[in-house]
Amino acid sequence: MLIVNDLTVVYQDGTCAVDNVRFSISTNENVALIGANGAGKTSLLLALVGVLEEKSGEILIGDTIVENNNLRDIRTKIGMVFQNPDDQLFMPRIYDDIAFGLRNYDFDEPDVEQQVNYTMSRLGIEHLAQRSPLKLSGGEKRLAAIATVLVMSPDLLLFDEPTAHLDPRARRNLIATLTELPQSKLIATHDLSFAEELCSRVLIMHEGKLLADGDISLLNDATILDTAGL
Amino acid sequence: MSAHNARVHELRALDTLSAGQTAIHRLHPLAKLICTMTIVICTVSFGPYDFIRLVPYLFYPFIMMSIAELPYRLLLSRVLIALPFCLFAGISNVIFNRSIALTIGSMNISFGVLSLFTILLKMYLCVMAALLLVATTPFTELTTQLRWMRIPYIFVMVFEMTYRYIAVLLEEAYSMTTAYRLRSGSKKAIEMRHMGSFVGQMLLRGFDRAERVYTAMACRGYSLKHIPFAKRKMTGVDFAFLSAVFISCVLIRVINLR
Ligand SMILES: Nc1ncnc2c1ncn2[C@@H]1O[C@H](COP(=O)(O)OP(=O)(O)OP(=O)(O)O)[C@@H](O)[C@H]1O
Ligand SMILES: [Mg+2]
Repeated sequence: MLIVNDLTVVYQDGTCAVDNVRFSISTNENVALIGANGAGKTSLLLALVGVLEEKSGEILIGDTIVENNNLRDIRTKIGMVFQNPDDQLFMPRIYDDIAFGLRNYDFDEPDVEQQVNYTMSRLGIEHLAQRSPLKLSGGEKRLAAIATVLVMSPDLLLFDEPTAHLDPRARRNLIATLTELPQSKLIATHDLSFAEELCSRVLIMHEGKLLADGDISLLNDATILDTAGL
Repeated sequence: MSAHNARVHELRALDTLSAGQTAIHRLHPLAKLICTMTIVICTVSFGPYDFIRLVPYLFYPFIMMSIAELPYRLLLSRVLIALPFCLFAGISNVIFNRSIALTIGSMNISFGVLSLFTILLKMYLCVMAALLLVATTPFTELTTQLRWMRIPYIFVMVFEMTYRYIAVLLEEAYSMTTAYRLRSGSKKAIEMRHMGSFVGQMLLRGFDRAERVYTAMACRGYSLKHIPFAKRKMTGVDFAFLSAVFISCVLIRVINLR
C-alpha cells in the first residue's frame, strides 16, 4: 500500500527533520506514529502527501511513485487530516468545505451532493452542513476536517494529532469512528492509549530517525520510550 | 466580545453571507462579475460634477441587498473604510474651486463641494458593487471565474492569497493582543517598545497560517492552473439578470436628460 524508502527531509535552514526513514504499511493496517515534540512526525506526514519540496528518497503509493507531476492523482489516494482543523476549513459553510475536494476533481454536482451527504451521515455531522466553521466547537471542527478528507475515499489516511483539543467523550467517539473506517491509517499522536486502542503497529521516531518499528506492545517497553524522550 | 474580535468576525461575516441561498446567490458568478464590472466602469466614467446623473445607480445596491437579504449596516460599515481616502482626494477641490455650480433654495453649492459629493457617491457605488459581489458569491467561485476569463494565473493567485491572508492576519492579531493583554497588567494598548516585534511576529504568523491553509487546499486537489466549476453553464435566468443590469447601466450612462 505505502512503501517509504530512505526518506530524508532537510529544511532550508539546515534542520534535518526526517533522517533516512524506511517503512511500509499494508492494506487495512492501522499504524501509530509516536515521538516527542520536534521528532519529525508532521514533517514525515507532509512529505508523504508531497507538500515538502525539500525531501529526498522514494515514496510509493500502491505502485505509483510520488513525484511532482502526479501529485493530483496521488492526492486522491492519500488524504491528510491536519493538526489544526482551522487550517483545513476555509469555506463559508461546512457543506462546501466537504465538497471542495470533489469539485476540484470535476465531479458532477449530484455526485458531489450524494458523496457529501453520505460522508456526513457516516460521521454523524449532518446537522453541521449549513453552519460556518467559525462557529463550531473543537470536536465538531475535528470531525468536519476528517469529513473533508474522507469524502475523497482515499486508500490511506494520515492523521496529525487527531485527539488534540478533544474532550474524553469526543475522543471516544473519534476512536469509534476511526475503527469503522476500513482504510489504512497512519496516525501521529502523543496520546499513547489512543494509539493502543486503534493501532496494531507502532513507529517510534526520535530526532528524525526511526527508532523502532513493531507491534503496538512496544509502547509498554520503558527503555524504548525513554530513549525516544517520551 | 471585544471590539477587535467583533471586527474579525465581521470580516469573516462576508464569507458567511456568501453561503446564502437566495436567488441572487444562485446566479452564475460570471453574470455577477460582469454586472459588477459594468457598474464600476459606468460610474467611474462620469465627469467630476455629474452627481445627479449618478443617483439612479443607487437602485442597484438597494435592490440587490433586499433580494439577497443582506444586512445593510454590515455592508455600510465596510464602505466607510474607504471614506477617508475619498475625503482626502475631494477636500482640496472644496478649498480651491469655489465658483458657484448651482443654487438650491438660498444655498449656493460650489463646484468643489459638488465634486466632493460626486467622488463620495462614485466611491459608494463602486465599493458597494464589489461588496455585493463578494457577499453573494463564494470566494473560490470568483477566483475560478477569473481564471476562466483568462486572467493570468499569477494575478488571481495574488488576489486569492491577499484575501485569505487578511483574514488569518486579523485572527492572529486578535489572539496575540489577547495574550499580550493578559500578561501586561491592565494596560489597554500595546506599548510602543513592544510594537516592532509584535507586528513582525504577527505578519510571520499570519503568513505561516495562510501557507498551511493553502497546503490543505492543495492536498485536496486545488490548483489555479486547473479550473474547476467551469462546467457550470449560464442559464436563462442568468442571462436575463445580466442583460437587465447591463442595459440599464448603459442607458443611464448614455441618456442625458439635461
Ligand atoms: N518549516 C520549517 N523550517 C525549518 N525547520 C522546521 C520547519 N518545520 C519544522 N521544523 C523543525 O523540524 C523538526 C521536526 O518538526 P516536526 O514539526 O516534524 O515535529 P513533530 O514531531 O511534528 O513535533 P510535534 O509533536 O511538536 O508536533 C523540528 O526540529 C522543527 O523545529
Ligand atoms: Mg507535529
